[in-house]
Amino acid sequence: MNERTQRPAWLATLIILLVGVLLFALNLTVGSVTVPLKECWQVLCGQGDETARTILLDYRLPQAVTALFAGIGLSVSGLLMQTLFRNPLADPSILGISSGASLGVALVVLLTGHLSGMAVSTLPGWTTIGVTLAAFAGAFLVLLLILALSTRLKSMVSLILVGIMIAYIAGSVTDVLKFFSQKEDVHTFVIWGFGSFSNVGKAQLAYLAGTVLSGTVLAFFLSKTLNLFLLGDRYAENLGLNLRRASLLTILVSGFLMAVITAFCGPIAFIGLAVPHLARFTYHTSNHFVLTPATAVLGMDLALLCNLIARLPGFDGNLPINSVTALIGAPIVIYVIFHRQKVLSK
Amino acid sequence: MKEVLRTNGLKIGYKGKALFPAIDVTLHEGDHVALVGANGSGKTTLFKTLTGNLAPVEGSITLCGKPLGSYKPLERAKLFSLVLTEKPDDLFLKVFDIVASGRYPHSGLLARLDAADMDFIKEKLQITGVSHLIDRDFVSLSDGEKQKVMIAKALVQDTPIIYMDEPTAFLDYPSKVELMKLIARLAVEEHKTILYSSHDLELLMKHASTLWVVAKGKPLVAGGPQHIELDVEDYLGLRKQGAEDNTQHDRTP
Repeated sequence: MNERTQRPAWLATLIILLVGVLLFALNLTVGSVTVPLKECWQVLCGQGDETARTILLDYRLPQAVTALFAGIGLSVSGLLMQTLFRNPLADPSILGISSGASLGVALVVLLTGHLSGMAVSTLPGWTTIGVTLAAFAGAFLVLLLILALSTRLKSMVSLILVGIMIAYIAGSVTDVLKFFSQKEDVHTFVIWGFGSFSNVGKAQLAYLAGTVLSGTVLAFFLSKTLNLFLLGDRYAENLGLNLRRASLLTILVSGFLMAVITAFCGPIAFIGLAVPHLARFTYHTSNHFVLTPATAVLGMDLALLCNLIARLPGFDGNLPINSVTALIGAPIVIYVIFHRQKVLSK
Repeated sequence: MKEVLRTNGLKIGYKGKALFPAIDVTLHEGDHVALVGANGSGKTTLFKTLTGNLAPVEGSITLCGKPLGSYKPLERAKLFSLVLTEKPDDLFLKVFDIVASGRYPHSGLLARLDAADMDFIKEKLQITGVSHLIDRDFVSLSDGEKQKVMIAKALVQDTPIIYMDEPTAFLDYPSKVELMKLIARLAVEEHKTILYSSHDLELLMKHASTLWVVAKGKPLVAGGPQHIELDVEDYLGLRKQGAEDNTQHDRTP
């Protein structure tokens, strides 16, 4: 934080925030039933008619708020991974971490159902602390495995390949669990796996918002550490960084964000991968004191945009969010790969 | 002159096997010493031992009056800085950000820089002659410019000792000479103690003030390039490899 890092494009920040407000408003108005902005405002002020109140307060508002925080959390989580592994393609889902989360959830939803002989998903409030903890434990185990392997594997490409293999293993164990489980539980699990911003009830919103915000604040306080990672391990160590502790802390914060969001919204791909790149290109910096907040606000915008597209009239709100995030995220990643090649071959 | 580094009966190597007989050397403020040796002769092992990444087989290293092992990581960061052959490769890293990271051991969690820090950074950029590059992307620089930026980072780190691993490698001839002169200037004017490794024998003979010559199994020999009582090329085994090799060595300008 100095005269140079405090000189980010304020204009860009202003535009990103304004776009965010606009997208949030559109998320409230657009859908199978259009609720005009004026009516939205009335509802938010505690007035408006009953139908509009129900649509907005019970469905659209929680969904938009979920998308907003999921976007922030996934993007910041992706940024931490990319910096830690010094790899532009590192992302919690690519390294098998969301598969770990899925396996954790599968164990809780499917296996406990199998053992107790009843469909767990029919019990009220199944997306509660238990599932969150299971997703977190699954994600964290894979994270630790990746970290242990990263000290042995010299090439980051090998590490990503190993991550993909771990994802396959977790996936196949999940499949085996599915095979032996109650129909209702499998259905619940498959729906969870599609990814959705509409499964978070009003009561759980505060919990999601609180964890994402605290994770993001922690990530911001890791900015100095992350900047050191970018210089390479030996320089970082020479500048006083305890590599082991710093890596573990970074993985912990990233895994925490990832796990919480995966537990609530299911595995959501590409946002965590694409948004940090958008932030780097927009602000043209790798300084995490700028990059971390920039990634957070851009993640908010992109998630709201994806949610809006999935909700456009005609799709009836049933379009899986993952198909939209991939459609928008994958081209960004392809662009990044080509740009990298261009710059490095100069 | 103040003594900065001393080794007592230092034996270095892996798994309890020493590469050379015991090393007893001292470095003082303002010394700049070139470490010369063939590839695989143990230069890297010596660097690793001096930076505390590798435990000595035997003997001790004293930095500024205290044993190396008694310093915590953050204290070490204020004692010696590194200039390595590997360079940061992030596409969006600015020269300023890299140089400013030298202040990290001296700053808090949010890495705030005050006016004094900014002046200090600008001064060091000036000294290494890279002030004009401050807003450039690091990856877009030439090898010579990158090297000088990393040296500016080391100066900003404000340590009495700077270790440089082959700072003249990959540079063209004029840049090599310029860098040698810069190293000498930093030692004298900035009161730094600089230990650097190098393969450029001809250049070292002209520009280095002190050489440390290492060869596997032989004692480390220290001395000025003109006064060293030793045929360096012979010691390194360059001549013994056969007469046909000589043509290759003579080709260097």
